[in-house]
Amino acid sequence: MKSSRTCWLVLVGLVTSFNAAVVADSAQAEYNTASSQQSTGEVSRRIDESLTGELGFDKPEIKSHLAPRTDDQTFLRRVYLDLAGELPTPTEVSLFALDTAADKRAKLVERLLADPRYGRNWARFWRDVIMYRRADDRALIAAASAERFLAENLNENKHWDEIVRGFLTGLGNISEKGTTALIMAQQADASNIASEVSRIFLGVQISCAQCHDHPYDPWKREQFHQFAAFFPRVSLRPVLVNGQQRGFEVASVTREPFQGRPAAFRGSMEHYMPDLKDPASRGTLMTPIFFATGEKLETGVADLDRRGQLADWMTSPKNVLFAKALVNRVWGELAGEGFYEPVDDMGPGRKATAPQTLDYLAQQFAAHQYDLKWLFRTIMATDTYQRASRPRRSPNDTPFLANTSYRVRSDVLYDNLAQALGFPRQGEVSGNPYGGGQQRFLNQGRYQFSLTFGYDPSERRENVASSIPQTLILMNSRQWGQAVSAQSGGALAQMLSDVRDDEQLVGELYLRFLAREPNDAEINICLEHVKSSERRSDGFEDIVWTLLNRSELLYRN
Amino acid sequence: MQIGMGPRGVLNRRHFLRNVTAGGLALGGLSFTDMVSLNASELKRRGMSCILLWMQGGPSQFETFDPKPGHANGGETKAIATNVPGTQISENLPHLARIADQLAIVRSLSTKEGEHQRASYMMHTSYIPTATVRYPTLGAVVAKELADQAASELPSFVRIGNVGIGAGNEGGLLGQKFNAYPIQDGNRPPENTRPTTEEDRYRRRLTLLDRLEEAAPGEAVARRADHESLYNQASRFVLSPSMSSFDISNEPESVRKAYGIGASSADAGRPAPNGLRIQQGQFAAGCLLARRLIESGVTFVEVAMGNWDTHQDNFDLSRRLCEQIDQPFAALVEDLRQRGRLDKTLVIWMGEFGRTPRINPRGGRDHHPQSFSAVLAGGGMQVGQVVGATDAGGERVVERPINEKDLFQTIYQTLGVNAKKEYMSAIGRPIAIVDGGSPVDELLG
Repeated sequence: MKSSRTCWLVLVGLVTSFNAAVVADSAQAEYNTASSQQSTGEVSRRIDESLTGELGFDKPEIKSHLAPRTDDQTFLRRVYLDLAGELPTPTEVSLFALDTAADKRAKLVERLLADPRYGRNWARFWRDVIMYRRADDRALIAAASAERFLAENLNENKHWDEIVRGFLTGLGNISEKGTTALIMAQQADASNIASEVSRIFLGVQISCAQCHDHPYDPWKREQFHQFAAFFPRVSLRPVLVNGQQRGFEVASVTREPFQGRPAAFRGSMEHYMPDLKDPASRGTLMTPIFFATGEKLETGVADLDRRGQLADWMTSPKNVLFAKALVNRVWGELAGEGFYEPVDDMGPGRKATAPQTLDYLAQQFAAHQYDLKWLFRTIMATDTYQRASRPRRSPNDTPFLANTSYRVRSDVLYDNLAQALGFPRQGEVSGNPYGGGQQRFLNQGRYQFSLTFGYDPSERRENVASSIPQTLILMNSRQWGQAVSAQSGGALAQMLSDVRDDEQLVGELYLRFLAREPNDAEINICLEHVKSSERRSDGFEDIVWTLLNRSELLYRN
Repeated sequence: MQIGMGPRGVLNRRHFLRNVTAGGLALGGLSFTDMVSLNASELKRRGMSCILLWMQGGPSQFETFDPKPGHANGGETKAIATNVPGTQISENLPHLARIADQLAIVRSLSTKEGEHQRASYMMHTSYIPTATVRYPTLGAVVAKELADQAASELPSFVRIGNVGIGAGNEGGLLGQKFNAYPIQDGNRPPENTRPTTEEDRYRRRLTLLDRLEEAAPGEAVARRADHESLYNQASRFVLSPSMSSFDISNEPESVRKAYGIGASSADAGRPAPNGLRIQQGQFAAGCLLARRLIESGVTFVEVAMGNWDTHQDNFDLSRRLCEQIDQPFAALVEDLRQRGRLDKTLVIWMGEFGRTPRINPRGGRDHHPQSFSAVLAGGGMQVGQVVGATDAGGERVVERPINEKDLFQTIYQTLGVNAKKEYMSAIGRPIAIVDGGSPVDELLG
């Protein structure tokens, strides 16, 4: 290729091949899942110990920078946003503050893990992980079914290996089968599926090796194409009903298709690595080999057998990347920073910030058969999770001294605004399957909102910035101007007549929008503003407007 | 009068909001634009700007800039002479024929991507889509490299026209900051730019917000500064006198007429065979708005127009689509020239790919990336010429093949953007603005 640096991986001089490293690594570190299972409390305690050891939290100069345990109010809001994807109600805020039980934090986590909002929230997260890097916007037809599949499975606490197996072996109509989403997002292209499967489920970006193979790249081109050879027989076909196209389905190729088909009919019997010197030729026939463990199939194996076998190998405790990738991602969401950043790039040239801790937690996750609720429960019980939050640290600072604040995802913001301003939510998938396909999904207020406020959850969070169009919506949207208005008979009008005491009303509004009580300074500023306004209702409209525009609303602390 | 203005912008942000909210743009009633012009030398933009006229769906080269009269593949479309001796274009474009001396017509584009989404992405980025890297669109790169963001309260990258989701909007690896500022319809002011209250109450709200942000508990100082800066920028935008740039009704009737705004043909509103309505006059409004925005300091404007996917009734549909672009495109070039801005403004007309020489049984043409046309004007291009050629039947390029990378190299070179520059992807992989290709010397002169 022209540029020797186009596909490039750190550390000049890294000569060890990644394959060798992983094989050696897995020989020692293959997760023993039979005997090493420890209790949640024990694991949480050992994570804190391990981080202290690895990062030196006990050294005086570092200890003095450790953030304190966060207050109940912040904790409540954080857990709600992390699990339910929305804010606690004002009543819940008060009840939690009044609860004196020592284990109230753990109980809260338990309650929300059993709440269907947990599955819905994380379904939307994974939907975005899968759909953001789609090769084609038509793939959005699969978004609703993917979300439905995920929400149901997460709420039933289907373990992570089972969910991933679903995405690897998806077949059928994409509007009905949520497991086809990843394949649809990549247009059933074997190389693109391979890239994304590796990135999303193994935290390894091998796509560079698609066309390159040079001295410093730990992956050989062959390895990438051997991996892609698990997916050649995946194809995408239009679904015809009475001669009219009604969406797409993922199907298996069972015989060599005709030449010259349009791209939508991808798929062939085997995968060939293109010959870079002669792109017109068919290239080299590839045998399916899983790069992380070296396990291999023969060519000629049927589609679902290939994909099913890969699912077995990928999710086996022999493949340490599987547990690590998930743990790194979930930790990244809960602590605000992954052990590896970005969370989907744990390649061999990268270093985890606390490798032993990650390894220990991943090992325990595997020993618990990839039980996701177990993982949430465990991480949320750690000191690290429960510390007060700070803005993102600078690269030279010690990680995990505090929880890290970051922008809430579009769905979370949308739900919080709907709840606080009292407008009807749209785009609820559970219980009311879309069926209407792409157009209905895209016309939803929720989706339109995400065009402005959405971001790719795999993106480094420090790169997720606010934009002018976002700000303009928050400041000047007609819809919300209406919702803010005291004249509209909406939420504020009701509150103005129900709550006659101004200070109390300020408190109610803060609870509703920010899930916390205002401090004295805020109360004084607000009261002063109301007093200097022409009418009480004007003053409170202005306060609601500022709450809608507060940076706090946009962040999870 | 001494006005402090550093390279990073006017005044300090906090003071600016204070001044804005204190009522009246401060400093003796000078508008922001006035202040900018006072310091023109210091805040001078690098000078180049760009307008992309984006034809979504893939226009037929036969019915636009590469007609083949007398050959079966040419169909019923006739050719007409232009003001450049020896150069003919389709009869669908009489206005452009009269200013062909201002155009560089490229007839030898040839790419490998014939699928809408992928081709649209490729013709916006010079890269084919890959699963792991989001390449920035042309407008984002130009805005990043050329715009002096502090010099204008307007966004530096604006995209006009509602052609649905798709390529053309994304800053990609440059971040959301470089996403297009979207305007659905050039006839209407951009969304959410009018306060929902009277201006003085709006200012009062901004002051209240500022005070409450400051009084909030917590240590998120860095976050507050970013938020504040954004609100300053946004409110500066909303309250700016330059907002009137977005209102084309401020233009004299004669100018609006020159762009063809208000003109209506018998076909207005008649649904196209592909079921979509051709939005009468929207492209014209977009072109006029683009000129206004470029004059107000916006660096890159994309005017998008859809419906070029003429798989059936190609001849009728192409004629009607050409009616929508012919006069406004010509007027835009002429207007820029008369205002002395054409040399510094590159105008690009292009789409996803071309259409098949073969006319299908439904009287349509299908996708044909092997040979198609684009047009460049202004921006220092060598105009009044045709570059490249297809064979007699328009099947393939026979002279000077130009691929997407060559085209982007040419565009960047004339704008003064170093196409070899590398951006870092999220995983630390350097991505050249254009990877490969070489500028077309004939166009650059």
